[in-house]
Amino acid sequence: MSVTVLWSKAASRALSTAGGNSEQAKNATLAERYWEILQAYLADGSEASLSRGYELARQAMVEGCGVLELAEIHDASLRRLRAESRTEERLLRATSAFFAECLSPFEMSHRGAQEGARALRHLNEVLESELKRIAHVLHDQASQLLASVHIAVVDVANEVPPQARTRFEKVEQLLAQVEAELRNLSHEWRPTVLDNLGLLPALEFLAQNVAKRTGIPVIVTGEAGTDVRLPGTVETALYRIVQEALNNAIKHAAARSVWIELQYLPYLVTCSVRDDGRGFDAGREPKALGLGLTGIRERVNALGGSLRLVTTPLNGTTLQASIPLGD
Amino acid sequence: MQVTVLSDDDLVTARREGRLMAGQLGFSASEATLVATAIAELARNMVVHARHGEIRLGAVNDSRRRGITIVARDQGVGICGAKRAPQAGYPAGAGLGLGLPGVKRLMDEFDIACETGRGTTITATKWRPQ
Repeated sequence: MSVTVLWSKAASRALSTAGGNSEQAKNATLAERYWEILQAYLADGSEASLSRGYELARQAMVEGCGVLELAEIHDASLRRLRAESRTEERLLRATSAFFAECLSPFEMSHRGAQEGARALRHLNEVLESELKRIAHVLHDQASQLLASVHIAVVDVANEVPPQARTRFEKVEQLLAQVEAELRNLSHEWRPTVLDNLGLLPALEFLAQNVAKRTGIPVIVTGEAGTDVRLPGTVETALYRIVQEALNNAIKHAAARSVWIELQYLPYLVTCSVRDDGRGFDAGREPKALGLGLTGIRERVNALGGSLRLVTTPLNGTTLQASIPLGD
Repeated sequence: MQVTVLSDDDLVTARREGRLMAGQLGFSASEATLVATAIAELARNMVVHARHGEIRLGAVNDSRRRGITIVARDQGVGICGAKRAPQAGYPAGAGLGLGLPGVKRLMDEFDIACETGRGTTITATKWRPQ
């Protein structure tokens, strides 16, 4: 199967601005090849011509041509036919059939994209329910076990000579600490407050916990109207994004304070996380941040949103996620 | 109806026969186009990857509907050939959903049967909408 480059934005731009070097442009542009093969099909009506049209469109798509560009090229062909006064019903029908054939790879790809989006949503749901389960296990089972250990330790402590008792008290203190951390972690991982009360209370809860754990103040501001509930997928995604951003700010940016701001518009939700840490050169993301930021980007993209990252060395970092609300 | 697929010309023959049969079974023109597309992708796979392949087309019935079945069989190194695992140089693909995954989405039923060393049989069926 022969492969030639059929389509590139650069080539079509060059053609439209400079008028084009005729030979090269003729070979290089999809429009000309489309017209050529369409001519062949109108002349012979053969499956071979249809197949050539299909392969042309298929490769153009692989090279980045969009469905609207193909429609434009088809439209140009139609105008050309009209200019040549070739408008008989039979020709127009055949032209439509040829166009449908060329759209076929796009149809295939479109179905794939829909399926992919569905799978991604499902995967996310599975992931969240797994987190819920783990948080539940940590909270209920592990905490209970620890509590039993705690009681047993206290029991033993009461029976040992007084000079050994202080060492048991130390163990008790450590156990209490582990219990508290486990409780906090399980709450943060999948806070019931997110399901029950919504995003803003969940972020406030997260901020309190993180501040308690790290000693770094985390200030949450919700603009007017942020007390309403959003679709579950959006609430969960934003919660996870803030979690990751907080983690970055504290672990990697050495922030002294972090501010979280939430704003709801009728069609858009914006959430920003700003810190006064060391910032970085936005052109070169530090490796340590890479994975977390990729995760944040993927979450935002999956919901059709956009992500802005404003940072310079020494001037802190602001991460703003905007998610459109729609169908 | 059976077509041996060795070249691009055979691919065209298979497409033509598929479109014809789909039309005879009462599929609309755009559904017939999708059937032809599925055949094109299966045949393309054979031309590019396999030494020898054949495509059989047939009408199928169950109690309430009619459809068309495509059976694509290649011999030797097919998609299941042990020496042709992805790391041995399969193109990762541009993630555009063309090729076999595309065929699966265009058809209603899709099945791949591999016999190591003997080849691959792909069976795909499209039912006529009621």
